[in-house]
Amino acid sequence: MNKHYDIVIIGSGVIGSSIAYHLSERKEKDILVVDKGFPLSGTSGSTQAWVWVHNKTPSWYGELSMYSAELYPFLGKKIGDVEYKRTGGIAPFFNESEREKALKLAEAQAEVGIKVEVLNREQVLEKEPALSPSIAGATYSDIDGNVNPFRLVELYIKAAQKNHVQFAFYNPVLDIKKEKGLFKIFTKKEEPVTAEKVIIAGGPWTKEIGEMLGVHIPVKQVRGQIIVTEPLAPFLTHTIGGMRQAENGEVLIGYSKEEVGYDRRTTLDVIQETASMAENYVPALARANVVRSFAGIRVIPEDGFPIVGTIPGVHNAFIATMHSGITLSPLIGTLMSELLMEGETSIDLGRLSLRRFMKASEKV
Amino acid sequence: MDKSTIVCRCEEINIDEIETAIKMGASTFDDIKRLTRCGMGPCQSKVCMNLVRELLSENLGKPLKEIPPSRMRMPLKITRLGSLVGKESSNNVLSVFSESSLEEGEQQNE
Repeated sequence: MNKHYDIVIIGSGVIGSSIAYHLSERKEKDILVVDKGFPLSGTSGSTQAWVWVHNKTPSWYGELSMYSAELYPFLGKKIGDVEYKRTGGIAPFFNESEREKALKLAEAQAEVGIKVEVLNREQVLEKEPALSPSIAGATYSDIDGNVNPFRLVELYIKAAQKNHVQFAFYNPVLDIKKEKGLFKIFTKKEEPVTAEKVIIAGGPWTKEIGEMLGVHIPVKQVRGQIIVTEPLAPFLTHTIGGMRQAENGEVLIGYSKEEVGYDRRTTLDVIQETASMAENYVPALARANVVRSFAGIRVIPEDGFPIVGTIPGVHNAFIATMHSGITLSPLIGTLMSELLMEGETSIDLGRLSLRRFMKASEKV
Repeated sequence: MDKSTIVCRCEEINIDEIETAIKMGASTFDDIKRLTRCGMGPCQSKVCMNLVRELLSENLGKPLKEIPPSRMRMPLKITRLGSLVGKESSNNVLSVFSESSLEEGEQQNE
């Protein structure tokens, strides 16, 4: 590590790495990324990695997700094959009474250019014959897909390294002080470094990093548990709201939320309920073998929307906290790079500002 | 030993791939696993774990006892999904569709 950098990014998950890569494309700044662990040891490595758009609401949020999904094919050309697949996404519902809500969703998303179809049972089964005939219908869109999160983060990092970004792993940030207009960042393994600008991309540890700057960042830690089957012959061609079949044939299943702090244990109750969900969606899965379960901790801001932009009251400090980092990483990397290099962004980030959580007296 | 020697039989990962991950900074079994898929197959690292730990020990110059084992997860042994199906609901498993809502502020994003 050097003694001084133009930009220090805290966190080397999908968001921190994407920002580092997109900033490095200009090859103008000295950039350091510090991480308390090793890439993929946290949230970005414990996900099904859907690139999911069609039922992100309100529609302005869906629109952002759509722009990000649209960036994926080009990203793959730039950094290498991240195994992005636009499979189309199916979100099943089981009661006919839910169709009205589905139609309203389709109408609202159409206004921002997201094409959502509302399917009946026959249409669902025609698209994905393995789904259960007990499904009443589903919302569907071509725009949804998935990506290999391991390849994605690794290739962001490699592309950034090629552009001379430095990375320091297993090196937690202990404190940040502001001295003579510069940030002084104290880490566990190295001498303190100074930086002109600092970006918080700490995922589930965002709150703790914010406190080092004297800023309250209202985020929650929300556990999700997933079960993994043995590799099976290809039989699910779409990304289903709840599961997907990976390139190698494994099926990843699960969609759960629990607020239990940073506890990455898997628990029998949720695993059993997830297995039950799998059987309800795709009856044939009952005969599949499960090889593993895993759990990851998402960061979710208190109102459910990402926090992106400057940190009001701390000059030259920035934040990028999702949910959903996998879907949004190409767009957030692009916009944060614009914000740091030009001071403005091509898409207005006003709605995502940390300012929305601040009291009138704190807004500066 | 020849660098092309297979260490993880399930995923066919060789010594060279593991040492490449170590050069990138990987220092535990699980770091290597996420980069290479070593240990992610049907046996869940039962064959490769100690071989990888030995490679870590040699490459990092650390005694074997300081290299932690891989993280084991249920069900530990291959298990039919149908036999895991539970009868009780924890209310923590959600439907993706149910989270699409049209009122601002009402929904929980995912």
